[in-house]
Amino acid sequence: MSTRGLAYTGGVGFALWRRSLLELARVRGGLLPTTVAPLIFLLGSLGQFGRLDQLVGFPTTSYIAWLVPLSCLQAAGFAGGATGANLARDIEAGWFDRLLSSPAPRPLLILGPVMAAMTRCIVPVTVIFIAGLLLGPGLTGGAYGLLMLYLAAISFSIVAALWGITLALRAKSQQVGPLIQNGVFIAVFLSTAYTPLPFLKGWLAVAAPYNPVTYVLQMGRQATVSGIEPSWAHTWPGLLALAAMMLFFGLLALRQLRRIDL
Amino acid sequence: MISNQDSAASADATIIVEGLERVYSSGLRAVDGVDLAVAAGEIYGFLGPNGAGKSTTVRILTTLLRPTGGHASVAGFDVVKQASQVRRSIGVALQEAALDPLMTGRELLELQGALHGLRRAESKLRADELLERVDLVAAADRLLNTYSGGMRRRLDLAMALVHRPMVLFLDEPTTGLDPVSRSSLWTELRKLNDEGTTIFLTTQYLEEAEQLADRVGIIDHGKIVAEGTPQELGRLVGEPGLYVKLIEQSESGRARDLLAVHGAVSDREAGGLTIRTSLGARAIAPIVRTLDEAQIEVDAVEVEEPTLDDVFIAVTGHRADEDVTEDAS
Repeated sequence: MSTRGLAYTGGVGFALWRRSLLELARVRGGLLPTTVAPLIFLLGSLGQFGRLDQLVGFPTTSYIAWLVPLSCLQAAGFAGGATGANLARDIEAGWFDRLLSSPAPRPLLILGPVMAAMTRCIVPVTVIFIAGLLLGPGLTGGAYGLLMLYLAAISFSIVAALWGITLALRAKSQQVGPLIQNGVFIAVFLSTAYTPLPFLKGWLAVAAPYNPVTYVLQMGRQATVSGIEPSWAHTWPGLLALAAMMLFFGLLALRQLRRIDL
Repeated sequence: MISNQDSAASADATIIVEGLERVYSSGLRAVDGVDLAVAAGEIYGFLGPNGAGKSTTVRILTTLLRPTGGHASVAGFDVVKQASQVRRSIGVALQEAALDPLMTGRELLELQGALHGLRRAESKLRADELLERVDLVAAADRLLNTYSGGMRRRLDLAMALVHRPMVLFLDEPTTGLDPVSRSSLWTELRKLNDEGTTIFLTTQYLEEAEQLADRVGIIDHGKIVAEGTPQELGRLVGEPGLYVKLIEQSESGRARDLLAVHGAVSDREAGGLTIRTSLGARAIAPIVRTLDEAQIEVDAVEVEEPTLDDVFIAVTGHRADEDVTEDAS
């Protein structure tokens, strides 16, 4: 790509990223839903299942250490999913027509919002992580663990954003919003969200090992779960799962974008 | 139907549409074999009721919708095969100005500049120019949710002009505007056209098409049913009328008999008469002379050109403000 082409790509990406983030700056409490809901899940799950850490073989003595990465991932997923809901709103309002009638290359039209989703998820993830630390678990995984947690969360927000964008382009209606968030919720729920693999039973024990989110959670849990020590062995399956999901949903979103006949 | 072959299907036409069709998956044939050509520098008015196929045609021409049949090119580029080049050449303001309420006017113009590849400094400069042009300098840094309908429309137009497009597509640009805002937008469009911009304008307002368009195409049920200059279309209704108002209403019977030699005479309210004559305004002098010789005093004589409203009814059998049963646009 020429220098001018790069400058153009960067300019469009930056402009659309900035526009997607304006909501955070100009709508009071814009980040509350994606922050508060996972925080409530965190506290609720702690109350419900807090004594699971007393089971023999549970990889940590602090159940909240098990939950904090899960809540971070949920927050990132919800923030990413909101990108799809916002796109559906833009399509309904006619704003997306404006973008489509511009000469900007189609992939850039979704790159900006995806970049915004990555940025947007940092706030709730950080709030939840700090709240979790205040509740007890230490940062057992050190800097490497923390880096893996943020990498897992931010990458998961990209996956959720691409999933949301695909559905929004398909449905062209804000009614798709709950479906987007339900998809994120179910993907997380059908993993090792609340207990490790050996503790799962029945159909969930069969499904969870095939769910890529299981490995993303494992990657993030290197930060706080003492039994999942920071290592490449706990990292690469998560990275692979994220790459596969990004590729899959990215291709779906691009395919839907090419087929869009508004 | 008046043919557009002579004036517009020329080799240098900026917009060429041949046998254009769009059939939706529901089976609805929104655009059904539209042919038209718009010359460079022309204002083309695309007139029709809601659901006639106007917006679908515009969406195809602006590359937002793929045709299911036929061909169209804009600025020399095929709307399907060379969509990207088409997008570089056109400015688009679609129905109900779609503007982000969380952004300011200036931010929107700068974003539009970025989408069209303007560098940041260039984009800022162009935004300033356009804000001045559409008289929105004072509101430039206010959020869009504080703008009136007229202000939003003017900003929408400014956004369509950021990259100095060759062709401007406006889909019902004045729908919902008050008369003052409408008139100010018309002035701006005339100015743009004087500067060389080709304008393709859809409207439901006959007055708008009469005021602005060099040529008008009337679309109904997805087909163009008439096309020509407003004057040419006026002739579809019949000969122009001359309205003659007499000072003495009691003389109207005698006047009617005398004026029958000039054309078909019909009675109007308050002793007035309408004479249909192919001579139009040129018949005023002989008519006045005839009445003067008969010592019948004339209060006023007016030429009554047929309006596009008359044309619309004549060619479609219904008024332009009646919606088509199934909304196609």
